[in-house]
Amino acid sequence: MGKFNEELVNAGMMEAGEGLHPSSKGARIRYAGGQGRASRGPFPLTDDLVAGFWLIKAGSLDEAIDWMKRAPFGGGAEIEIRQVFSAEDFGDALTPQLREQEERLRAQAKK
Amino acid sequence: MRFMLLMIPQGYCSAPPDVQLDPERVKAMMKYNEALQQAGILITLDGLHPPSAGARVSFASGKPVVTDGPFTESKEVLGGYWMIDVKSQEEAIAWACKCPASENEIIEIRRVQEMADFSDEVREAAAGFAEMQGRTARR
Repeated sequence: MGKFNEELVNAGMMEAGEGLHPSSKGARIRYAGGQGRASRGPFPLTDDLVAGFWLIKAGSLDEAIDWMKRAPFGGGAEIEIRQVFSAEDFGDALTPQLREQEERLRAQAKK
Repeated sequence: MRFMLLMIPQGYCSAPPDVQLDPERVKAMMKYNEALQQAGILITLDGLHPPSAGARVSFASGKPVVTDGPFTESKEVLGGYWMIDVKSQEEAIAWACKCPASENEIIEIRRVQEMADFSDEVREAAAGFAEMQGRTARR
């Protein structure tokens, strides 16, 4: 997997990548009546659990698929590919005020 | 400790590719994002396009097999995520509880793996990972 990651970085596509501890060490929050309530993992009822992720920059969904097909997984693993929302996806719903707030948040979060 | 707050909106599994968000809900969520940021714990955050615009690559047969979304067998899908840096899982849970989420939404809290969590053997195999993270192309 280190080799695959290296290829992504060398191709200038990798924005981030992390592995996650198992859900047995995690928690879930449900919201009823405006109130958040926590329950502890593991979560046996769920069919799909996230174990880690890559954030990559690709020209198209097809390019992202081609890259992830090369990930060195044996049987059992599955990778789901989803496009990250950008400001332009929201059109007029993103008011100038919201856009300014979003940009400021991102700049500050990066520090 | 770094934690992912994984937003799982029920029903998002069947959302159309051009899903529209409610500006009022976005405003409420931005207020929450701002609170995370002002507390100095926000590392990154993103929203994801619906699964109907995505794809899955599965390795069950040892060879990659591509399926286009939506994924009818999945009841729970990701709508977005935050990564935060806090002192404990309790603190991460307390922050997630403050999220102005709807009744159809669940936030799953999962700790991010650090090199210190692994055996020497794994750390050796993952040599260069930290440098790689430093070299990634952040926006």
